[in-house]
Amino acid sequence: MSNFFKLLYNEQFKIYIRKSTWVMYLLLAGIIITLAVVTNSYGDLNEKYQQDNWRDVLQEENNEINEHLQENEQSGQLTKNNFYLENDIQPRAYDAWQFVMENVFLLSLVTLFTIIVAAGIIANEFRWGTIKLLLIRPLSRTKILLSKYISVLIFAFLTLLFVLLISLIVGALFFGVNGDASFVQNQLGSYAHVSIYGEILKGYGYQLVTLLMMATFAFMISSAFRQSSLAIGIAIFLMFAGNSIVAFFADHSWAKFILFANTNLEQYEFGEPIIEGMSVGFSITVLAVYYIIFLVVTWLFFTKRDVAGQ
Amino acid sequence: MAEPAMQLLDVKKNIGNKQIIKGISFTINRGEVFGFIGPNGAGKTTTIRMMVGLMNLSDGDIRIMGNSIKSDYKQAAREVGAIVENPEMYPFMSGKQNLLHYARMIPGITKERVNEVISLVGLEKPINDKVGKYSLGMRQRLGIAQALLHKPSVLILDEPTNGLDPAGIREIRTYIRSLAEKDNVAIIISSHLLSEVEQMCDRIGIIKNGELIATQNVHDTSVEKQVNQILMEVTPVKKAVELLKTQHDIESTVNNGALVIQNDKESIPQLIKTLVEHDISVYQVSVTKASLEDKFFDLIGENTIE
Ligand SMILES: Nc1ncnc2c1ncn2[C@@H]1O[C@H](COP(=O)(O)OP(=O)(O)O)[C@@H](O)[C@H]1O
Ligand SMILES: [Mg+2]
Repeated sequence: MSNFFKLLYNEQFKIYIRKSTWVMYLLLAGIIITLAVVTNSYGDLNEKYQQDNWRDVLQEENNEINEHLQENEQSGQLTKNNFYLENDIQPRAYDAWQFVMENVFLLSLVTLFTIIVAAGIIANEFRWGTIKLLLIRPLSRTKILLSKYISVLIFAFLTLLFVLLISLIVGALFFGVNGDASFVQNQLGSYAHVSIYGEILKGYGYQLVTLLMMATFAFMISSAFRQSSLAIGIAIFLMFAGNSIVAFFADHSWAKFILFANTNLEQYEFGEPIIEGMSVGFSITVLAVYYIIFLVVTWLFFTKRDVAGQ
Repeated sequence: MAEPAMQLLDVKKNIGNKQIIKGISFTINRGEVFGFIGPNGAGKTTTIRMMVGLMNLSDGDIRIMGNSIKSDYKQAAREVGAIVENPEMYPFMSGKQNLLHYARMIPGITKERVNEVISLVGLEKPINDKVGKYSLGMRQRLGIAQALLHKPSVLILDEPTNGLDPAGIREIRTYIRSLAEKDNVAIIISSHLLSEVEQMCDRIGIIKNGELIATQNVHDTSVEKQVNQILMEVTPVKKAVELLKTQHDIESTVNNGALVIQNDKESIPQLIKTLVEHDISVYQVSVTKASLEDKFFDLIGENTIE
C-alpha cells in the first residue's frame, strides 16, 4: 500500500509542479474575487431587511409593487415577499454561504480543468517520451493506470475544495458569515424554506456527476489515442453540446440512453425528466454502465497495447 | 563463470503484417558487455522494447535471470535497468526530482543510493537544474543514472553514445567496464556505430533486417591476427605504388597523399627496405589493426552502416 501511495505521490507531484496547473488555480481565485467585488457593488444583499421592522419594509415593498402592477400580471418578488410574511421568516442577509452556493456554476470550470488534467495524465507521458521509463518498472500497468486515475480524482477533489474554500473566505471577507442557515428558495414558481448547507451540498453534488463522467471519458480517450488535445477537444465539445445532442435526438426511443440525458440528476427533484419514462434509478444505471465501459476501454488500451515508437 | 543473465529464445515480432524481428536468439552472461550493432532500422530498439516489456513478443521468449518477461514480468523487470531510444525525462523537473520519481517506483531505493548514482555519472553540479536545460549528453548520463538506481543485473542501453563527444564516450566506457567487472552486471549496448562501442564490448552481435547475422568475440585472437592496415608517408608516392606491385606483388592505394597497404605487420621492415633501396623517402609509417567494423562491412554492406 505504501508502494501505491508513492505512485500517487509521483502523479500528484507531476501535476502540481507544472505552472499550467497553478494558472488554473490563479484563474479560479481571480474569478471568485471578481465575482465578490461585482456582487458587493451591484448585487442585492438584502440589507434593507436587516432591521427590526423588516416586516414593514416587506409590506411597503409589496404596496409599491401592487401600485405598478398591471391587471393579471404576476410578480415573483410579491410572491416571495408574501412567503416571508406568511411564514414570518426574516429575509436572510447575503453572506459567504450564499456566495458559495451561487458559485456552484464554477464547477463547470473545475470540470474543464479536470478534463485537461485527465486528458494529459497519460497522453503527456507519450508526448514527453517518459512513458517508456515509466512502464519498465517492476509494477503492473494496471497499478500505474490506477494511480493515474485516482490522481485525476484527487486533483478534481482538491480543485473543488479550493473553489469552496476560496469562495467561503472571500465571501466572508466581503459579506461576512451569517449564523442563520435557513434560506428561502424558488422551486418552480413556489417558495420553500430550506437549509443553505443542504442546498450547497446538493448543488455541488449534482455537478460532480458530469465532472466524474467527463473526466473519465477524457481519461479514456487519452489512453486510447495517446493524444491529449484530441481528448480535451472531444470531451469539452461533448460537455457543451451534450444537451443539444439530447434535444436533437429526443424523438427517438433510444435518446434516454444518451449519456447526457442522464447526467443531470437534478431533473428528478422537481417536475418531469427531459424524456418520458426515465427515473433516478434508470439514470444511475445508465451512468454506471457508461462509467464501467469507459474504465474497461481505458484499461484495455493501457495494459494491452504495445508502447512502440513512431 | 558463464552465468546467463539474459536469454533471447527465437524472439519474433510482427507489426501489422510485417515481420520486424525474425527470430533472434542469443545469451548474455553476467559481467559481459554485449554490443548490439546494426544499421538504423535493423530492429535494435524493437528488440530492446521487447526485453523491457514495452512491447509484447509475437513469438519466442525472453528470460531475465531466469524469469520470463511474458509470465513473470515483475521479477524480470526487477532485474533490468534500461534506456530505450532517447533518454527522455520530465523536462520541467530537475535531474534529482526525476531520479527520485523513478526511485519511488521500486521499493528499497534509499536517498544515499540516489546520490551514489548521481556521482557515478558525474552529474552532481547540474542535478538541481531543470532537465529541459540539459544537453543531450547530460540527459544520456541521467538516463544511465535512472537505469542503475535499483542495481539491476542487466543493464540495457539503447544508443547511449548518441550525442556524446569522444570524451563522453570514453567516460561511459569507463563506468560500463567497471559495472561489468566489479558489479558483475550484464550490459547490452546498442549502436549503429560499431567503432563507438567496439572498445567497451566483450562480444558483438550484428543485427540486420531483424536477424542476428553474426556474433563475434571482440578479444578473439583470430581477430587480432587479422590483416593490418599500413599507412606510409612517402615520396614519390606513384613510384612506391609501382615498386610494391612489382617487387612484392602488393596492391596499394593512395589516400590523402599517403600510401595505404593491407598486409601483416611482419612485412613492414622488408617493405621499407625495398622503398629505401629505390631512393624513396619514407617519412612515417603507422599500423592500424583492421577494425571489426571493416570485417563486418562485408556482412552488412558498407553503405548501410552510417
Ligand atoms: N510502430 C511501428 N510500426 C511499424 N513499423 C515499425 C514500428 N516501429 C518500428 N518499425 C520498423 O521496424 C524496423 C526496426 O526499427 P527499430 O527497432 O527502431 O530499428 P533500430 O533501433 O535498429 O534503428 C524499422 O524498419 C521500422 O520502420
Ligand atoms: Mg533504435
